[in-house]
Amino acid sequence: MSTGTAHEPVFVGDVRKRLDETLSRYPTKRAALLPALWMIQEARGWISDSAMAEVAEVLDLTPAYVKGVVTFYTMYHQHPVGRHFIQVCTTSPCNVCGAEKVVKAFLQHTKCGDLGATSPDGRFTVIEVECLGACGFATPVLIDDDFIEHVTPDKVPDLLARYA
Amino acid sequence: MGFPHKPHPKETVVLSEHFGRAETRSLTGWKKVGGYQALTKARGMRPADLVELVKASGLRGRGGAGFPTGMKWSFMPKEKTKPHYLCCNADESEPGTFKDREIMRWTPHALIEGCAIAMHGIQADVCYIYIRGEFTDCLAIMETALTEAYADGLLGQGKGEMYIHRGAGAYICGEETALMNSIEGRRGNPRIKPPFPAAAGLFGLPTTINNVETLAATLHIVNRGAEWYQAMCLSNPKSVGTKLLSVCGNIAKPGNYEVALGFPLRDLLYDLAGGIPNGKTLKACIPGGSSVPILNRAESEGCILDYEGCVAAGTMLGSGGVIVLDDSADMVYQIMRLAKFYAHESCAQCTQCREGTAWTVKILEKILGGKGAMTDLDLLLNLADQMTGKTICVLSDSCAAPVVSGIKKFRGEFEAYITGKRQPALAFA
Amino acid sequence: MTAPAATALVTLTIEGVPVSVPKGTLLIEAAKQAGIVVPHYCYHPGLPVAGVCRMCLVEVEGAPKLHIACATAVAEGQVVKIFSEQALESRKSVLEFLLINHPLDCPICDQAGECELQDYVFQEGRANTRYSTYAKRFNPVEDFGGDVLYVPNRCILCTRCVRFMDHVADASVLNVSERGDRAFIGIHPDAELDHPWAGNVVDLCPVGSLLSKDSLHKARAWELDKGPSICTGCSQGCAITLETRANTVVRIKPRSSEVNKYFICDHGRFNYRWMNRGDRIEAPLVADGGDLHAVDWDTAMERAAGMLRGVKGPVVVLASPSTSNEALAAAKTLAGSGFIGAFRVPRVPGEVPLNGVPHLALREERAPNVRGATDLGYREAFDEAVQQAQGAACVIVLEDALDGVTLPTRTLYLGTSLPTGARNAQVVLPVANVAEEDGTFTNRDGRRQAYAQAKAAPGMARPASWVLAALAAGVAGARA
Repeated sequence: MSTGTAHEPVFVGDVRKRLDETLSRYPTKRAALLPALWMIQEARGWISDSAMAEVAEVLDLTPAYVKGVVTFYTMYHQHPVGRHFIQVCTTSPCNVCGAEKVVKAFLQHTKCGDLGATSPDGRFTVIEVECLGACGFATPVLIDDDFIEHVTPDKVPDLLARYA
Repeated sequence: MGFPHKPHPKETVVLSEHFGRAETRSLTGWKKVGGYQALTKARGMRPADLVELVKASGLRGRGGAGFPTGMKWSFMPKEKTKPHYLCCNADESEPGTFKDREIMRWTPHALIEGCAIAMHGIQADVCYIYIRGEFTDCLAIMETALTEAYADGLLGQGKGEMYIHRGAGAYICGEETALMNSIEGRRGNPRIKPPFPAAAGLFGLPTTINNVETLAATLHIVNRGAEWYQAMCLSNPKSVGTKLLSVCGNIAKPGNYEVALGFPLRDLLYDLAGGIPNGKTLKACIPGGSSVPILNRAESEGCILDYEGCVAAGTMLGSGGVIVLDDSADMVYQIMRLAKFYAHESCAQCTQCREGTAWTVKILEKILGGKGAMTDLDLLLNLADQMTGKTICVLSDSCAAPVVSGIKKFRGEFEAYITGKRQPALAFA
Repeated sequence: MTAPAATALVTLTIEGVPVSVPKGTLLIEAAKQAGIVVPHYCYHPGLPVAGVCRMCLVEVEGAPKLHIACATAVAEGQVVKIFSEQALESRKSVLEFLLINHPLDCPICDQAGECELQDYVFQEGRANTRYSTYAKRFNPVEDFGGDVLYVPNRCILCTRCVRFMDHVADASVLNVSERGDRAFIGIHPDAELDHPWAGNVVDLCPVGSLLSKDSLHKARAWELDKGPSICTGCSQGCAITLETRANTVVRIKPRSSEVNKYFICDHGRFNYRWMNRGDRIEAPLVADGGDLHAVDWDTAMERAAGMLRGVKGPVVVLASPSTSNEALAAAKTLAGSGFIGAFRVPRVPGEVPLNGVPHLALREERAPNVRGATDLGYREAFDEAVQQAQGAACVIVLEDALDGVTLPTRTLYLGTSLPTGARNAQVVLPVANVAEEDGTFTNRDGRRQAYAQAKAAPGMARPASWVLAALAAGVAGARA
């Protein structure tokens, strides 16, 4: 399977400058891989196979190596996701505080239907995530880069309204 | 202080003094409360003396293993012949634990100061602060604080470099060798030891990895001395200083509480954290993050919160994430949920962990689905036995711990699903 | 430092057998000295240690936990138990874990019979599984490109293939993708596993997960006969095993040696079909009125001896550098004082190194015995020798294709097939190819290495060295 459409390079202009600055922080080029992948995801919303090939080229790695790393870290999207990516913690401490109901509320109000699926309007994708590290503030939810604490099912509609 | 609650008189507030106060986030705010005096003092000391001071304080690693910090520092080469690294482990991901997040959110400069002190002690040229990718707020706050510290001349220009490295969703990167691999741009696979990080760590060079809370504690030790730190001890003299305990689950006032080690778990639950809400009673407690054995009510109420006290109670202090479960909790379901966490986070290297964690989940789901057999309990215990002490890191041990302690202490709940006394909790194909 | 420091020896006891090994030796290697192979999957002496399969956990007396033999160095006085109850129990468990998602499709698996999973389960595994009611993980077979197919359902994630590509081939084409029990060996969709040394991943795979398309479903492992040989693909001289079934070479595998460690290149690996070619000369031929006629060996030998008996002047030997030292030496002896030896070498510019192994490459000279021929006084001056042949007393040709060459009729031709250029020879003698005889080649570094017969020669063909030696004896006998 080839990736089809031509890939617009990410590491040009300001992003390239940011990458160069990042490279100066590490003794190896490889070490800039995680930050570089973040830059791609920021620019494109996800990390395509051709983007992996680009970052491999820039950091003197191979596309397969990069893919191995991308697939290890669950925050890197290997497929396009909705405009707003919603991660609901459902690990035990949050689970006993009702996290599963929060997930249901998100699925219902976003019309995503299933976990990992994108809503028909392309606005949202909802996933369950393992421990967000804010168990005392159950249920924590990460919407894009916004870390939101104490989410309960009744708060979900208002919360979603903030994300167009 | 028991953020987000008012401080309780039984707390010993050191690290958490400024939790909830936005003003101490800034460099000026931090300096106003005496910030960076410890760093100046530490930098005036010989590195070896600084290491001795931390050794003398009795400080032990707050990430989970409880290894003496000063001793860890002393493993670094005395004669420096190549670059040394410090890694700050801010990958806080142990279910039930959320203390490092609060340190970074409210007192980012405490962490930077602690890191800079440790760097001086181990003669590190560079420090990487590895923050889990989900901590978006901490990442932003720490970046700002770091920029301020550089602008103020506290870092750079020969005083050492400090960078933030963002994780990307992998619990296992909190394991120190996996963390180093992750910084190096690799899959977060734990490494076989030896070599130990102090000999060949990050980029193959001498490295020390310390937890956020550990590093934040060092500045107080420098400021107030080893004896002062040693004196904060309520029970065993091997467990000294304060510990942030993250209380969560079925509890009236979830949050972080800072107590001197040796504090009774009972007081933490019932006094500080307000007890079990909604007229329920305590059923079980996991006092050290999800990786340690579960305690039943009686064990919990008798447990002393320090490294030795927890072992005596049949568990471990771990990271100090106290997960509370009330009498309505379905132990089988919650144990399955924990096992699922470990199955999701297994790096896939070791056979027992890769296959065992996933198989454990399947058996538990089968039991919860009403399709279990009594032999499944023996099988779970046998798998757990083979998943303990056999792998590179302890992720698979961590999956086994709640299973073993759960079956031992709450066997009746498992059997109720198996015999049909309890309705299936989920559909099992 | 004037003299190399003596390596300190460490003495330990493994399964009751005392062994002394150099300091720093890994337990798994030390155990070999005690005659024991510790069951293992991810460990391979030619690869960096991974320590992930956890199969080689052994008991070290006094240690609270089992140790992996592949990453534990020997210590003085250590007492190691490989077959203790604890170690056996642990291995049994690893085997069970490895099998829970395995399709158990040995009857259609190429690896069956030489599968380390099959072997160890048979040796130490459980008779039945306790994983019965759950669906098995399934991933479709993937063509990795090159010669390699990946069957993920059989994969035990030992990562030997990934480590080979990363650290030995120095071309990270493979990876471990995903985590936990979802993990598999991955490749980038735009990449192919077509590295010139990539075929080694199939040998390294301890199970039937990486398969060679070239030998897919060709033979069952237990049907194969194996003969140690030396690769004829170039002048490197890699040790190989010729695997035959029903007198046909069906597969070449690397054999460990100091030259090639554990690896061979794909050029050498697939360089075997010619060994089975059907258009072989099967009987000695002699010229008779412009035609070649089949005769028995005695007749042919007498005719050949007659060509050489009492010759004066130059005897030109045109030899292929793919013939054995023994044949080359016998031809030289036969030629006597008038010996002029020459050869030509097929060359392909550009060496193809295996970066992780020093001094190992597919070499430009694509013949195995260039050095041997040179050492014996043959010169790479073929065209000049062809000129000299026109006036020579006799010409002996040893397995050269003679394309574009016309030789005088005073030619004795020894070969496996009959090229056009050999048709005006006086005598044509059928000889064995490398798979059909014993012999030696001298590689480019001067290492003389033996190869053994792996299959029978067709018809009346005999090893060239025998023929030439017998001829030399016959000629000399008559001289005396």
